[in-house]
Amino acid sequence: MLKLLHTADWHLGKRFPSFPEEAQKKLSRARMNVIATILDVARRNMVHAVLCAGDLFDDPTPGADFWEGLAKIFRDHPPPHIPVFLVPGNHDPLTPESVWSPGHPFRARLPAWVHVVDRDDFTFEITPDAVLYARPCRSKAGECDLAMSLPARAPGDIKLRIGCVHGSTFDLKGYQTNFPISRDAGVERGLDYLAIGDMHSFRDVTASLPVPTVYPGAPEPTSFDEPDAGRVAVVALFRHGSRPRVDSEPVAFWRWLDVRCRSMNDLRALLITKDLERHVVRLHLEMTVTLAEESELERIIRDLEGTDATHGRAGILLVDRTRLRLQVGSADAFPDDLPPVIRDTVARLDRIVAEAVDEADKVKATRALSHLYKLVQRQNDASGGAS
Amino acid sequence: MKLHRLRVQSFAAVRDAEIAFGPGLNILYGPNDLGKSTLAEAIRLVLLLPHTSTGSDPYIPWSGANDPLVDLTFETEEQRFWRVRKQFGKSGSSLLQESRNGQDFDDVERARRVDARLREILRWGIPEPGAGSGKGIPESFLSAALLSTQAHVSDVLAASLADDPTTTGKDRIAAALQAVAQDPLFITLLRETQERRDEAYTDRGAKKTAKGSVFKLAADRVNEARDEKERLQKIVEDSEGVERRLRELIEERRHLDQEQAAAADRLAATEQLARQAADRAAAADRLRAAQDAVLRVQTMDQDVAAAEEKVKDLAAARSRAEGSVKDAQLAETAAGAALTAADETVRAAGLDSDMADTVARQALELRKIAADQAIGAATAAQELIDTASRADTEHRQREVEMKRAREQRAQAAEAEAAASEELHRCDLLQRAVEARAADKLAATARAQVDKETALRRDRSNIADEREATAERRAAIIVPPAGSLPALRKLATDLASARGALDVGLVMTVIPAALVKVRVRKDGEAPEDLGILAKPLDVEADTEVEVDIADLATVRVRAGRREAQERVQALEARWTADALPHLQAAGVDDLDALDAKLAEARDLDAHLKKLDGDLDSLDRQIAGLEGAAEALRETAARAEACHLALGETKLETLTADLDALGPDPGTTLRTRRHKATQAAETARTTANQAATAETLAEERARTLRTALDAAALARDAALGKLPSGAAREALQAAQEEQKKIQAELASLQSLIDARKKQLEAALSDAREASDKARSGVKTAQEALTQAIRNLASEEGRLAELRKVRAAADLAAAEAIFREATQHHDALPAPERLVLPDEVAAARDALAQAKRDLANVDRDMHITQGMLQQVGGAVARDHLRDALEALEQAESYEREIEADYEAWRLLLDQMKEADAAQASNLGQALAPAIADRFQALTQQRYQSVHLTAHLGTEGVLVAGKLRSPDALSVGTREQLSTLYRLCLGEYLQTTIVLDDQLVQSDDSRMEWFRNLLIEKARTFQIIVFTCRPNDYLDAAAMVTADGPGYVDSEEGFVRAIDLGRAVGRG
Repeated sequence: MLKLLHTADWHLGKRFPSFPEEAQKKLSRARMNVIATILDVARRNMVHAVLCAGDLFDDPTPGADFWEGLAKIFRDHPPPHIPVFLVPGNHDPLTPESVWSPGHPFRARLPAWVHVVDRDDFTFEITPDAVLYARPCRSKAGECDLAMSLPARAPGDIKLRIGCVHGSTFDLKGYQTNFPISRDAGVERGLDYLAIGDMHSFRDVTASLPVPTVYPGAPEPTSFDEPDAGRVAVVALFRHGSRPRVDSEPVAFWRWLDVRCRSMNDLRALLITKDLERHVVRLHLEMTVTLAEESELERIIRDLEGTDATHGRAGILLVDRTRLRLQVGSADAFPDDLPPVIRDTVARLDRIVAEAVDEADKVKATRALSHLYKLVQRQNDASGGAS
Repeated sequence: MKLHRLRVQSFAAVRDAEIAFGPGLNILYGPNDLGKSTLAEAIRLVLLLPHTSTGSDPYIPWSGANDPLVDLTFETEEQRFWRVRKQFGKSGSSLLQESRNGQDFDDVERARRVDARLREILRWGIPEPGAGSGKGIPESFLSAALLSTQAHVSDVLAASLADDPTTTGKDRIAAALQAVAQDPLFITLLRETQERRDEAYTDRGAKKTAKGSVFKLAADRVNEARDEKERLQKIVEDSEGVERRLRELIEERRHLDQEQAAAADRLAATEQLARQAADRAAAADRLRAAQDAVLRVQTMDQDVAAAEEKVKDLAAARSRAEGSVKDAQLAETAAGAALTAADETVRAAGLDSDMADTVARQALELRKIAADQAIGAATAAQELIDTASRADTEHRQREVEMKRAREQRAQAAEAEAAASEELHRCDLLQRAVEARAADKLAATARAQVDKETALRRDRSNIADEREATAERRAAIIVPPAGSLPALRKLATDLASARGALDVGLVMTVIPAALVKVRVRKDGEAPEDLGILAKPLDVEADTEVEVDIADLATVRVRAGRREAQERVQALEARWTADALPHLQAAGVDDLDALDAKLAEARDLDAHLKKLDGDLDSLDRQIAGLEGAAEALRETAARAEACHLALGETKLETLTADLDALGPDPGTTLRTRRHKATQAAETARTTANQAATAETLAEERARTLRTALDAAALARDAALGKLPSGAAREALQAAQEEQKKIQAELASLQSLIDARKKQLEAALSDAREASDKARSGVKTAQEALTQAIRNLASEEGRLAELRKVRAAADLAAAEAIFREATQHHDALPAPERLVLPDEVAAARDALAQAKRDLANVDRDMHITQGMLQQVGGAVARDHLRDALEALEQAESYEREIEADYEAWRLLLDQMKEADAAQASNLGQALAPAIADRFQALTQQRYQSVHLTAHLGTEGVLVAGKLRSPDALSVGTREQLSTLYRLCLGEYLQTTIVLDDQLVQSDDSRMEWFRNLLIEKARTFQIIVFTCRPNDYLDAAAMVTADGPGYVDSEEGFVRAIDLGRAVGRG
């Protein structure tokens, strides 16, 4: 039996411009850290080879931190060393300037057991009875079916044949140029397993065919709309003609969680989510709160987010307040013993809320009340703390 | 506000006066009628009255010499000095100047703008000139309170802010009162709110957009995200455009592929139809020939059978003719016997006379028979000769026909050969045309390759130049061009600030003992002056540092602290903002930096141009991609075309090719068609000629046989007659016959004459005899004709049999059957196909191949473009950029809403605070009342002021009394206290013009102490004729001293107006 670990879409060096700077660093580092996890999974499963089916870097010329980091992970990986195959994808195509180019220092730093698929006729005998066929992407777009360009099985050949390319099996219009892969390419080329990469969710696109064509997904998700991401595929091949068994194993550190809170209770419940510190949380606040509730809401968000002095409960937090509404007016939230001038200020803002024709003016006045409420609260807290 | 200096000239009774005010209480004293109130008025006028106003008329000097002039210097805040100078009257003028040090003034406003600006500075509730102001001195609550003259001491008690034309006075008082009346919590909240508001907005309420401001940060984030999004969107649009184009090309290629296949099918079908038609035509020709051969043999059989039948008929006719001759001869014999009998009868009737006639007639009859026989033989011979002659003539005609047919066949063969030659020529020219076209394509491809080579060379050169330029550009590190004006302004500000310090200073070092001194001036190197024994003046521009015997270092810097701090701040800014740029650029000053910037700009422009050139060349090179392949293909094709020409050189065909005109293909097709037709015609003609020749030969042979038979017959006939005598014998026989007939006629006439009775019988017998002879003759002629016909037909029959014997009907039929089977076995073409149609189908296929090649080339180029633009990768990045932009915009909206709310909160807090303080009377009244109670030993309980500071009255014994109800002295005292309170709250000067003349000594003493106390916080100017009310004797001006004396640590100044004022 031949065992393989199939992974793809590492996207090392990917930027996350919609996240705060610190979160971007966390997410970027996690992409690098997961590779050691992948190699550990390979060791634990005693696979014969690790197939990395493209988009390993987010760009063909990534920053030195990323290619140096990846080379170091490989170099530092303890024996036994199984062959690892790195296939250039459409994000990091094999070009003369790319990190995959034979003259690039990255190549010199890779250990001998790490192989870069830098030829169109790449073949490798994994075992005497199993041969790998792979072909790299040479541009960011192309309409060539790389899987169909792999050599066909010769008559009488009973070896296990594994294909490894990068591309899209979408049959929709508009995807023809993203290195389209025919769904029956594995059968057509006489392969026993076709390892592909591009889609970030784990998916066997040929469940009804004898030759599995599998997207292992990104080992670390890159967005909230990637269900079943964060995995690798562990493939067991028995003999030619017998459908291999494909299992997925989770490897991601981060889990991406899109949460919609429609009440304060929803928000409070979020605090008791397990392993929240390993979650990238996007919090959609879709509710209307009073000034007092808003104060609690901000406290919970601070708790989730952390401060300069404390870690947040959530690993990474994005807050979408576009649907968060404040209940208009002060609604008697302020204490009675305030100086007259502050009471007058509150009354004036309430009057604006009551008399404003424009909704935006109401919102603005309510927000001003919120500011004042928090100021007063803080002063009260400070004086209470002092006493 | 504090007044510093007042200078008056030609003002009412005052000729000139100049007063320097102290910072606190100023007691300006002098006797009555000296002009004290005039000076107070001068202060009012210079601050409030436009110089053109007729309100100054009362102050025209009594001497009438010059227009009144007032010059006042005052200070509104620290380091902010103003100097207003007005010359009243029609030819007057106004000038407002400003200074930071009270020494050097700059012009700020002139003419009418001076008053507008003054009122803006004072904020006394007086509008700008022209805005509803009257001709006199404009009045307001504060002008009455702060500058009231002796004649209007108590006016302040009757005034209020409600009458002010503008709210500036009220706002100013409210602000002053607020500052002292706020709640501590409120102050904290207000300060925090103000800080939050100030993070985002300027003092004037505009959004802060400078570097580091919250809006700027948010906007920068949005702009950065938007720029990135637009950059990626453009890439995606480009990518989608290329993808769209590629999809179109793929579709077009599929379509063209189908078209090419269809064209190939059409060509194959057309060629097959043409081949079928050609095969069928050839088979039909062969079939026709076989059929003709069979028909010819069959026709021979029919001809033989017909000839045999005809010979039989002719033999029967001859037998019948022979029978007819015998019958006619028998009838003639009978008629002769009847005639003899008639003659016997006649003779019987006249034997003697008729015997001689009868003998003569019998002799003549015998001669006549002989002549008839001779005529018959000669006629037969002549006929045989004629027959032989006709046969010969006909034979000659057949030979002529045969010769003509042979000539026609030869001509047709020549025509066919010529047509074949033309077809061969057409083929050669076709190959030549193809060769020439291939040469042309090869030349075009070669030109494209040469062009590509040249373009690549150009590109390499430009790339080298770009690299060199980029290196030069990279070596120049300069800030953005837009930052230079800011740096220049910074340099100017720094120079200006340094200039403010460059005021010069002289420092005197007076040694108390022998000390070693080292001096450093203006940042220069220290100068060791050695042991200093006597005072030393050190003069410098901006800074002096004196190191005294290692005991101390004294550093003196010119200019005020603010100016020095400003220089330090600007220097720090220079070090932070400008110096790094200068160092990075390797220059010393901004001009050099500007030059570097210009150089960088030029290099950038040059780089942009080079990039544009490179893009253009890349596009051109991309457009030429495949040229080398095209050249190889076209060259190979041209070589193949030349090989097809064989040994014929294309150059030798130039004239022929040129003669083909602009469309050689069509011309050649036309020529080929014509040649094919000519060859066909020639072949047809040759076949027809061969057939005609064969027939002519057959006929000639038949005629030769007939001719030979006729010649034998003729020779046989001529053998009985001497050669050439037949015609003469016939002629002689005919003459003999005529002679005999004439003799017979003569004899007959004799007989007639003699034998009249026997005439009828003899005539009948003679007629019968003639008729019988005629019948014999006719029968003999018919017999002769039958014999001749029979001979002719027998000759023809023999010839036909001979020809027939030479022909093989079975073989001809076998060939016919085989030809029929072959013909029938061939498929019939569905329709007729012309050569033009085949050529058109061939052209269509070639065109389809060319179109396909063009699309393949376009696809290749488009694929190359697509590989560069990104496709799904760009879409992935765009999705991230869109999310980032959305986040940034959301953040910007949030920030904006947040700070808008902070601003609104601040506004509302201030409004609430102002509203709390707007009841100014409540705020101010306690302070006045406290002092009033102290002054009056609690006689009055409180003072009631309205919200607008109107004086309602004082509370006495629980009853509110109007100020009018108070005594003049008390009213003056209340008025003075009110004005002092305002001056203190506003921290501004008040002018009191003999306010307390009605006060008793104790209250005057109380006031004197109050004034001295308040003089430490704000400026009070008192005009009085009773200086002792305010000053101790020691504080008075002495006759031999200067015109003023300061006391109370400089907070009280006594000014003797008698010495300061010159009267006119």
